[in-house]
Amino acid sequence: MRRYEALEEIMQVIGDTPVVCNIGHPSQELYIIDDRPENFYMLGSMGLALPIGLGLAMNSDRKILVIDGDAAMTMNMGAFATVGAISPSNLVHVLIDNQANGSTGFQPSFTAGRLRLEEVAKACGIPNIRVVTRQEDIAGTIAEALAGTDGAWLVVIKTEAGMPDGVEPIPLSGVEVKDRFVARL
Amino acid sequence: MSPSEQLYDTLKSAGVDFVISVPCKLLSEIIDLAAADKSITYTPVTREEEGMGIMAGAYMAGKKPAILMQNSGLGNSINAIHSLLNYCEIPVVFICSHRGSEGEPVEAQHRMGDAMRPLLEASGVRCFEIDSPDKLDQVKSGVEQAYADKTSASFLFPFSFWE
Repeated sequence: MRRYEALEEIMQVIGDTPVVCNIGHPSQELYIIDDRPENFYMLGSMGLALPIGLGLAMNSDRKILVIDGDAAMTMNMGAFATVGAISPSNLVHVLIDNQANGSTGFQPSFTAGRLRLEEVAKACGIPNIRVVTRQEDIAGTIAEALAGTDGAWLVVIKTEAGMPDGVEPIPLSGVEVKDRFVARL
Repeated sequence: MSPSEQLYDTLKSAGVDFVISVPCKLLSEIIDLAAADKSITYTPVTREEEGMGIMAGAYMAGKKPAILMQNSGLGNSINAIHSLLNYCEIPVVFICSHRGSEGEPVEAQHRMGDAMRPLLEASGVRCFEIDSPDKLDQVKSGVEQAYADKTSASFLFPFSFWE
């Protein structure tokens, strides 16, 4: 299972839940799989998908789903501490862990070595953590997380590195992405 | 009222209703005021760049966000200011204690302190220096303008403001 297949599984079970998606190939793949106004494609600012999701969750009654990557999360690990401290029950952080910096040439990331981000999250006080390794377990786990009422969720999905051919930059401006997202909140 | 109380009241009157902070000794009183205010949403954050993301989310959810931070934190936020806030036209307000201004006891603070204005200019963020509580009307109008035309604004408060 690559990230692409994992994203397909996620999008089948989230209804109209607003999504904040990591920069680069993750957003580009999501655009192909299921472009919708409820997708906030974070086109810059690597490492800030989770903080953006937290700011939304703190100020909205909606469930907020963040699609993140292991290398982006490693870049801004302090965000785990802030999420752990606030732990909003409407925040579901999905971390696709492909052990690589895929968008920049598949250099190995730190989770290819000794880093275990789920352990960092646990130490930061995030109360609900699942690690998923099988594609058939993704939909059920995401549905369970979205139904949660007792603190923030982290779902780590372990995937292979790699992506399909034909993934291109998203033909939307930052303002277009933001405006249509805000209109659906 | 103390300078911190006057500044905090000014931010509230200009519509600020979501406040985050990274600690600074000069800001300790206003951080306490924000943390105790049940009429707004407040949280400390680990790092200023993280704060840019949290404020962007809060703004999209309808809030008027501000960060209380030492000026040094601008250094780790510049990419997020350009590629998230400016690119998506998401306005935020920077309330910066200005280390390295006159009266600074720590030599190492001068370099970043001196670089603030050119860095803010290059970041597309309006910059106001507020060296006395007598100039707080500039904060009120500057904050209101930032949210109105979706352009972030920064307010630098040197040592003289806090005395």
